[in-house]
Amino acid sequence: MMVRNWQRYWLTPATAEHLALVRAIGYGLLFLIYLPLDDRGWTQVSPVFWMPISAFRFLSGPPGNAALIGVLQILWKISLLTSAIGLVSRASMATAAALGFFLLGLPNCFGKIHHLDGFPVLLLTILALSRCSDALTVDGALRSNREMRRGRQARTGASWQYRWPVRLAQTLFLLVFFAAGYAKLRNGGLAWMTAANMRSIWLGELLTHTPPTALGGLLAKSTWLSQFAAVATVIVELSALPALFVRRLRVLTLVGLFAMQVFIALMLGVYFTPHLVGYALFLPWERYYGFLWPLSRPPLAPCFPWWSPSTTRRPISNRFSQR
Amino acid sequence: MTWGARQSGGQFAQVIEMEGKKNCVGWRLANLAILGFLAVACIDILTGLEHWPFGSYPMYSLLYSEQRSWLRLYGVTDRGEILLRGERDFAPFDEARLVMALERLESAHGGKQKLDEALRNLMRLYDRRHAHSVPLRALRLYAVRWVLRPGFEGPQPPQERILVAQATRDDAEAGP
Repeated sequence: MMVRNWQRYWLTPATAEHLALVRAIGYGLLFLIYLPLDDRGWTQVSPVFWMPISAFRFLSGPPGNAALIGVLQILWKISLLTSAIGLVSRASMATAAALGFFLLGLPNCFGKIHHLDGFPVLLLTILALSRCSDALTVDGALRSNREMRRGRQARTGASWQYRWPVRLAQTLFLLVFFAAGYAKLRNGGLAWMTAANMRSIWLGELLTHTPPTALGGLLAKSTWLSQFAAVATVIVELSALPALFVRRLRVLTLVGLFAMQVFIALMLGVYFTPHLVGYALFLPWERYYGFLWPLSRPPLAPCFPWWSPSTTRRPISNRFSQR
Repeated sequence: MTWGARQSGGQFAQVIEMEGKKNCVGWRLANLAILGFLAVACIDILTGLEHWPFGSYPMYSLLYSEQRSWLRLYGVTDRGEILLRGERDFAPFDEARLVMALERLESAHGGKQKLDEALRNLMRLYDRRHAHSVPLRALRLYAVRWVLRPGFEGPQPPQERILVAQATRDDAEAGP
């Protein structure tokens, strides 16, 4: 029974397009988010600040060659773009994951880990391990042109291989928030959820950040609002764990988490922009894609009888064949 | 799981089994990858450890009192002291990372020497950012304290300030 539930959760068949759309959106978003990233400045920082984390301990010291870092980050950004469009897909995705690990991890070796960039690295790793380049790629278009000339036609079917990467990325994204809620209870206990503590966090952030609004200082004047925000924060974050299994709660939790991060940005000036890619994982991209290109596409996957029954539209994978 | 998957559980199991047999190694690797990712994520969450890119996400998880102690850098110019900020003056550091790094250096073994070296390096980073403005005569690190009460707006001066370390221009030019 447990094995069957495990398989249903992680390995329900999905179309190759489902995962391919996540690939295109994910890499595309990460490319846009990290376009301004520049790690070359870290080569000018004294080795006295070098406090390596994780695999960076294997390095003998901080990188000193700004030109090399410059080349690596150009390579990384190109690999994000080529992964999004599916050009030289396997190599691009492996490069994006390896260089992402290094370039996004490097700043964290200078005193403090910012937890914004951990999830994107996990997502890059999962996608690099997956078969997300089986559909909707430039590689595939070139290959199918060659095969059509030879009289063969490439086909991708629905498979468990297209489900688990998205499911795993969604799970890890929600676990990020559960971890944050759990850490509050572990380190602060129930006392974390008091108005005084919440107010101190809001006002304390004014010492290190420059928020775009005066909302933090304003809301801190209200004991009731501070108390409500403290309790709501912990409840919404902890709800991320049950939301993994309960679909209706998942929607509520994601809306709550997104609203919370918008408020954090407005009140504290802390921007969780890389997490946008995590929220994007939960959107029905295949449906949007079907709306945009409803009829002009060839069949890419066979029909499964249970596929997408709640929608009035047929799955894009079998729409062509039933027309 | 989709609504349809619930309706056709037997068929689902058959397809899964069929697919699994087709690609036995891939099937095992996928399960292994799922288990591996989940195991590290759960270990970090439960123990509070950090294994980049996994983590326990402990940001803002402590209890914060009304009194906040913090480290702050001030530059000494001909006109007196000016407050300096991480992103603006010491890029690539941001304020939170810089202060945390300085706190860790202060509490580390041989903290005094490390702080001196760090300040010399920060002065050079400042010079790179402000190549065309008046150079600093010295860089001072203070431990500062505020009382965070409703109405606090951030830029106001601290209630208390204690000098922790200082680097002069001569130090910065002579240092490593």
